[in-house]
Amino acid sequence: MLEALGIGALVLAVLSVLFLVALVLRRTSLARAERRRNELEARLRPLALALVDGDEVEERELSAEERAILAEAIGRLSRSVSGEARERIGEYFAGTEAYTAEVGALRDHRAWRRATAAYRLGDMGCPEAVPAILRRLDDRDPDARAAAARSLGRLAAPEAAEPLVHTLVSGTVPRAIAFRALLDIGPGTLPVLRTLVHDPDQDVRASAIELLGWLGDASDDSAVIEGVGDPAAEVRARAAGALGRLASADGADVLTRALDDRIYFVRLHAARALGQVGEHAAIPALVRQAREDRFEAARAAAEALARIDPDALLAAADEPGAGPHLHEAADLLRV
Amino acid sequence: MSETLPAPLVLVADDDPDILDLVRYRLERSGYEVATATDGVEAVRLAGELTPALAVLDVMMPSLDGLEATRRLRNDPATAEIPVILLTAKAQDADVQEGFLAGADDYIRKPFSPRELSARVQAVLGRR
Repeated sequence: MLEALGIGALVLAVLSVLFLVALVLRRTSLARAERRRNELEARLRPLALALVDGDEVEERELSAEERAILAEAIGRLSRSVSGEARERIGEYFAGTEAYTAEVGALRDHRAWRRATAAYRLGDMGCPEAVPAILRRLDDRDPDARAAAARSLGRLAAPEAAEPLVHTLVSGTVPRAIAFRALLDIGPGTLPVLRTLVHDPDQDVRASAIELLGWLGDASDDSAVIEGVGDPAAEVRARAAGALGRLASADGADVLTRALDDRIYFVRLHAARALGQVGEHAAIPALVRQAREDRFEAARAAAEALARIDPDALLAAADEPGAGPHLHEAADLLRV
Repeated sequence: MSETLPAPLVLVADDDPDILDLVRYRLERSGYEVATATDGVEAVRLAGELTPALAVLDVMMPSLDGLEATRRLRNDPATAEIPVILLTAKAQDADVQEGFLAGADDYIRKPFSPRELSARVQAVLGRR
């Protein structure tokens, strides 16, 4: 019995030593690979910078490993540049082994690989990848969908505008990522957004109107003004916010009327927007809202007054029964 | 015998090494000498020590952001005249206004075109 226990202990001790040796070897090997990779990257960095900058570079044969590291370095640089530098990156990657591998990986059975491929293709800047990335917006994996949305923004693909608005509404991609992607696409989204403001789905209308506030121009005022009269409160609130961002003087009347909306968050957004527009005619209505409305809407009205006419705010705060919001805004103004 | 003028010194501050490299590469190719910093405190210190012809400052930096760094440069008589170009991912008009109020001479949004940045550096220096 004792002998069997002794043998067992010995076997365990040997196995432990072997395991430790394996761990040390693995760690050493990883450290060596990392060091080699850093050295290679440092050596290839000037080449990556020259390619991105559009300098003439001496053609030389690169190993597969060097090509992979160069591709990664250029892909990372592409996140910081726009314009002709980004176009050059797209031209560099078009048709390369690295590009083809990533397009193929969009159909990989492993979710993380599909997500990585969608992300890298955005950095590669090749517009021809857009249709394949668009299909990943319906991926069953949330990371792959998010990476696809981000890359469609990076590629400024106008054809992605409508699907991205729908992902924004459905929540299949985190709102911040989908919204940012649409902003990255920029004015290319406008034709689609101008159609979607009339969509039967109120959530689509709300998102389209909100985006018009960020990306639109003076020609979008009328569609956004119409949105302040929408049957859905969420659409009315976002339209009010959009009018503020567009600083639409034409929208001042409708915003002033929206201070009487039956839904408090519409009144809140209307007050903020009036502050951004700087509408003096709305001062009496804003004073009333600041005195009588519920907390958030009243505070927004007082802050709007501070922006439009500080003297009017100070005078209103000195009136009897001015209430806490006018006092607070006046105190902040004095500070 | 003709003497060549020394290359104007541009101070570039950004906490992103990729951006520092991109800007340095382009500016050096355009004929400038470049000094770099990775945060606002270092940028203000280097500006005082080196008195660069111009500073390109990232807005969102650790320790001290680009807006506050610009204000400090403006408040110090030794650095008050150094032109500043702000480089930032903050893209709203209000952010741009804040940059100009802090004393910046120009504003470039990220992602940026390195050649456009170089052209703006040249334009700002040309105005001085």
